[in-house]
Amino acid sequence: MLELARYGARKRVRGALALSVGLSAFSVLYAAFYPSIATGFDVAEYVDALPPVFVEAFGLRAFGTIEGFLATELYHFAWIILLGVYLAYSAAGLVAGDVESERMDILLALPVSRGRVVTEKYLAVVPEILLVNAVVAAVTWLATHAIGYPVAATDLIAVHLLSIPYLLTCAAIGLAFSVAASRASVAQRGAMATVFGLFLFETVVSATDYAWLGAVAPMRYFDPTAILTENTYDFLAAAILLAATVVLVAASAQYFRRRDV
Amino acid sequence: MAGRDNLHPRVRCPPSMAAIEIDRLTKRYGDLAAVSDLTLSIESGEVFGYLGPNGAGKTTTIRILLGLQSPTTGTASVLGHDMTVESQRLDALERVGYLPSNPRFDEQSTGREVLDLHESIKGGERRDELLDLFTPPVEREIREYSTGNVQKLGLVQAFMHDPDVVVMDEPTSGLDPLLQERFNEFVRDERERGTTMLFSSHVLSEVRRVCDRVGVLREGELVTVEDVHDLLDRSGKHIRLRVAGDPPENAFDLDGVSDVSRWRDGGETAFSFTFTGDVNDLVAEFEAYDLRELDVEEAPLEDVFLTFYGESDA
Repeated sequence: MLELARYGARKRVRGALALSVGLSAFSVLYAAFYPSIATGFDVAEYVDALPPVFVEAFGLRAFGTIEGFLATELYHFAWIILLGVYLAYSAAGLVAGDVESERMDILLALPVSRGRVVTEKYLAVVPEILLVNAVVAAVTWLATHAIGYPVAATDLIAVHLLSIPYLLTCAAIGLAFSVAASRASVAQRGAMATVFGLFLFETVVSATDYAWLGAVAPMRYFDPTAILTENTYDFLAAAILLAATVVLVAASAQYFRRRDV
Repeated sequence: MAGRDNLHPRVRCPPSMAAIEIDRLTKRYGDLAAVSDLTLSIESGEVFGYLGPNGAGKTTTIRILLGLQSPTTGTASVLGHDMTVESQRLDALERVGYLPSNPRFDEQSTGREVLDLHESIKGGERRDELLDLFTPPVEREIREYSTGNVQKLGLVQAFMHDPDVVVMDEPTSGLDPLLQERFNEFVRDERERGTTMLFSSHVLSEVRRVCDRVGVLREGELVTVEDVHDLLDRSGKHIRLRVAGDPPENAFDLDGVSDVSRWRDGGETAFSFTFTGDVNDLVAEFEAYDLRELDVEEAPLEDVFLTFYGESDA
């Protein structure tokens, strides 16, 4: 049971640690940066001068507080964009990489169903998502305390926990490209373009009368600024993301069941 | 475990059931038919050689047989299980081993990690025995492996769960002669144990050494299926000889002589020809001449098969 998932997760440990260290450094950097913003920078003036689309894209409405600052720099930028695109890219290589390199031949000669191969390859990414969130949450808590602008642990736990469904969806988008493409590079480019494209799309339409179109983008369902500055926890949005993940993974498994390898 | 030694091979599957059945298999890619109306039956315990030039459709047949690709029409079954139906295919794969041409593994894994994964899913009762025989460097990462080492790992992986049927695609390509010989010996031992084996090759001399029957594929069509020995008998012998002097025109003009070449060499005349007739007639013919040198060889299978896939390829 789950032998492939466990094997896959083990292979990703080094990458997960590197990612955790990198994003922790990012968090520390911005935490170190904050005090000079808090004291020497007129945030209200800065935000007013920006186009509303921009404010919306990066959740800048509460930029003056440490929570708002982190929501923008760490969670909108590093989590929604960087980590979302990275996970889509990484998951896009899961199946297409094995098909392209012909590793899939030996794998499929094992008595495992196609659906199981796809699902377990996806599950191998989950521990990495959990690890990165756990590590960076802890580091961020420490960093903000160190600079004298502490963020409550509950706030950090909330934003990291609620980011997980979003990140799972991004990885599931990558998986969908991975089963459809025959080359890893094609799948990766498609997945990255889709996640980033959805971000841009959602940002742009949200300032128009067609904001409802943005419902197709996973970014719509994760609002770090609301979580950190207003303590608004949208569990329905998280559930929608989890449902989307399940649908994408199931559809990917079903597609892979029927295709020639 | 009882019944697993060479003297008492375990009964692999009911003798009445063919181990591999392919019926009117066709695989088309647009206008191109990679495999066309292929019908083939491989008996339990048989070693079957699947021959043909590159692009003939051997690999396509094998990949359809293992469920990697689906046929356009026709069926393929292994141990009585329809390989196009996933639930049946999974049942069959528990008892099947596969060695693809150019086997590929995760480069960052060690051989041990890969074998552990395989063992956790399909079992590995023969793993240690096979590692003693083939010795891939399991502690090292696969990206450091030579072609031979990858092939060795592939062989261990294919046989470690003691399968009833093993399908191999070009198993000896890239192997040095020593390893090829070890492989041949291994196949002969496996045959004694009752394992059914299908392997595709264009190394004909190996096929002749280990196979019971041979099928020849050409441009997606099965041209013939024959017993290896029948083929060899039909192909006859290559004779090279030298006689003193200059024999008459009709020298060695017997039934069963073909492709005659003759040339003068100093005070002697040399002949070479293929002979499929009665050896006694040939010996009688020698008495008329002063025989200086005589070489008798089995005709290489190459010559036989060229008649199947030589003509229109020229």
